[in-house]
Amino acid sequence: MLRKKWLPLVVTLIFILSVFLTSCGKTETQTPQQSQEQKTTPTASVQDSDNWTKAKDTSKIPEASKARTDTLIIGLHEPKGVFNPLYSETSYDNYVNSAIFDSLLEVDFDGTYIPSLAKSWDIDKDNNTITFHLRDDVKFSDGTPLTAKDVEFSYYVLADPTYDGPIALSAAGIKGFKEYNEGNADKIEGIKVIDDHTIQIQLEKVLGTSLSDLNIPVIPQHYYGKDFAKGKLDGVKALEQQPLGSGPYVFEKFVPGQEVRLVANENYWKGAPKIKHLIYKTTTEETAVQMLQTGETDYETSNITAKKDNVELLESLGFVDYSLLPTNGYGYIAFNHKLPKFQDVRVRKALAYGLNRKAIVDAVYQGLAEVRDVPQSKVSWAYPDEKDIIHYDYNPEKAKQLLDEAGWKLGPDGYRYKDGQKFTIHFLASSPNPVNDALVPMAVENYKELGIEFVAEPLEFNAIIDKVNKGDFEMYFMAWGLTPEPDPYTIFFSKGSQNKIGYANPKVDELILKGREELDMNKRKEIYHELYKVLNDDLPYIFLYQRNDLNAKNSRVVGFQISSFRDFTYSLYQAEILAY
Amino acid sequence: MTQFIIRRLLQSIPTLIGASIIIFLIFAMAPGDYVTSQLQNPKMTEERAAQLRALYGLDKPLPQRYISWASGVLKGDLGDSLLFKKPVIQVINDFIWNSFILGVAIMFFEWLIASIVGIYSAVRQYSVFDTIATLLVFILYSLPSFFLGLVMLKVFAVDLKWFPLGGMITTGSNYTGWAHIVDVAKHMVLPVATLTLISVGGLSRYFRANMLEVIKQDYIRTARAKGLKERTVIFKHALRNALLPLITLFTLELPSLFAGAMITERIFNWPGIGKVVLEGIYIRDYPLFLGYTMLITVLTILANILADVLYGVADPRVRLK
Repeated sequence: MLRKKWLPLVVTLIFILSVFLTSCGKTETQTPQQSQEQKTTPTASVQDSDNWTKAKDTSKIPEASKARTDTLIIGLHEPKGVFNPLYSETSYDNYVNSAIFDSLLEVDFDGTYIPSLAKSWDIDKDNNTITFHLRDDVKFSDGTPLTAKDVEFSYYVLADPTYDGPIALSAAGIKGFKEYNEGNADKIEGIKVIDDHTIQIQLEKVLGTSLSDLNIPVIPQHYYGKDFAKGKLDGVKALEQQPLGSGPYVFEKFVPGQEVRLVANENYWKGAPKIKHLIYKTTTEETAVQMLQTGETDYETSNITAKKDNVELLESLGFVDYSLLPTNGYGYIAFNHKLPKFQDVRVRKALAYGLNRKAIVDAVYQGLAEVRDVPQSKVSWAYPDEKDIIHYDYNPEKAKQLLDEAGWKLGPDGYRYKDGQKFTIHFLASSPNPVNDALVPMAVENYKELGIEFVAEPLEFNAIIDKVNKGDFEMYFMAWGLTPEPDPYTIFFSKGSQNKIGYANPKVDELILKGREELDMNKRKEIYHELYKVLNDDLPYIFLYQRNDLNAKNSRVVGFQISSFRDFTYSLYQAEILAY
Repeated sequence: MTQFIIRRLLQSIPTLIGASIIIFLIFAMAPGDYVTSQLQNPKMTEERAAQLRALYGLDKPLPQRYISWASGVLKGDLGDSLLFKKPVIQVINDFIWNSFILGVAIMFFEWLIASIVGIYSAVRQYSVFDTIATLLVFILYSLPSFFLGLVMLKVFAVDLKWFPLGGMITTGSNYTGWAHIVDVAKHMVLPVATLTLISVGGLSRYFRANMLEVIKQDYIRTARAKGLKERTVIFKHALRNALLPLITLFTLELPSLFAGAMITERIFNWPGIGKVVLEGIYIRDYPLFLGYTMLITVLTILANILADVLYGVADPRVRLK
């Protein structure tokens, strides 16, 4: 009886012990056997771009990945399965679509536009037309040649009154767009197919931003447009999960929530991809690194945050190449410029000087994000010279002095007052958000030192947007994404659609318009440098940081030439798997 | 009995209507809508936002929106998901069965282990086994699922490599039939183990408490006094009675099979409905989470009716005339 009673306990204990022992003892015994003969290092025909930090020990490449000789597995955040580049809204669906479809233009490493489906284009400033000359050797993956008709069709889908995707073709200002989109016109006046490989777009006015606005992905008319008519996009939408394009890979299968399988397009116009199969696999932040570690994925695009911990972890694996690229976007703290207290630039400057932004950014990104003082990416051609801008490094003394000058005097209770009003800031903190977790306590403390009461109200993201749209806010933290085209019209122009903060500065308006209307790249550069200097001095926001994007890959896959503006999808056709 | 079921079904209609109105209002009145969340796109304009709202019918007054949604539901049309850009039913169908198989496996093991542990601890109250089992189930019960999940992954997937690191099928595999079942089963081991270990604690206490209560009853003493074998006393006389309240618990747990487990699905990268709906809520994909919540509501009401019926079947004392 007694023995029987103890049996379950013994079993349980043995189980627990074995779990602990195996997990502790395992770590050291993992070195894979080094083969005796020294293998020659295989080389690739196209090397990685030099912004990759290369792996130190390729002998650690996991066996599981070596076994896959003709398949590249790319880890990314779950694609939603909207496999139509005119409709996809998440960048993850876009990654998939970029492998299946091509656009008129490509973005070069430096963020400028270069030929793709359109081999060249003419801009006629006097007649306000842009003419695209298409390549004549491009075929969709079913063998049908890509012609100007397909480009026209793609524009018509985007201009349709029932189109509900994210591409804003209206911004381009195509002649007759409004009449078609909102009125009864059955044709868009400004879109003219000249011949099979030439299409001309008549604009209201040619702008420096026009190329970017007119650059769209092209979908085949013969496939998507069978029963297309104005106001009838059902046929286009119905093919959401059977995409057909002209890109390097052809869609094969989608397993929702798990993976997207593609096969090489042997007739790709830049040359057949060197890797036969491509799989996009859903990963999560929790296990993205482990997926690389065990060899289940070869490349991770989106689920490893650029933090020091993660970089060290990747380095410790030995066989992983990684690349840190400045993200196209920036974080900022917005002011409500309709409130008198924020209308004084000295107050805005004081709040910038008085906040230890570096400490906040370092707390979140552990040194892998930089404090920014202008609303532009450091690597953009529009970014001004660092010497020409003010750096609002943490300086509470200067902040106090500015507040004194602005008439906010210290009261006996340690807070500042002006016209009998206490300086209090109500801050909308979207939650959960790691930046706010660091920002709020720091701001409370820093601003208390200046004599300002900082009150944070945690709210859900949508609730904050709602309040901001209604103008019911004082300050909030958020981030903007940037495009290769630097024009900030919607955000800082006094009547810009996304200028919800009520910012208006005639000088800024003038420069923004000038930058839009100028077509010469070098002159635009100068205008934007000037614009960012003004914004840097006037502080419509407290600019906060620019973080990095982390790409990581198994060193057995090579040929990825990437930059902040040019993601890995452009390299898919030239990437190859080395046999280690 | 048939009459009872029909009556209960009819009674549930007003409940459903009321529930649907409340659910609709809660979601519709939450700040922001699907177009709001798109305002993060710098190119978005007020005109475009208004156009989109009109396309999605978000510009109409609430009662009208409710009626058009509800009449769609009556026709079996839950609308199109804004996030996935396809019918809600299709989205739910894509993901809910993955959650379901996970749920069934967890429920099976949870009840199996909980019953064994619970009954054994009750029969041997305050024994070493009881003490250790109590301690263990409470430790597991108090662990957060993401923690236990990550530890499991580290030990069994990364270090020992016994099981895959999440997902539901081997990447790029085309297994069919038996091979497919084995493949999915392998991927299920860790998430099922995690959730079972965590949930076994609560349930085993139910078993233990019910058993203890029954064991103290006079008829058990009578059974023992009759000279019946201990095994017969426990399993025939005691267990059957102890199971009665658990029938309700079991039936009410059935809808949760379809509900998905948000955190665990995320950690183990399981393509279930839980994380899909969570994302739908953040991004205000009304048709998706309204459709899903209604589905769960209907299942819950049905489960309630089922619980009443089963209880009546099992326990003659509460049987309805």
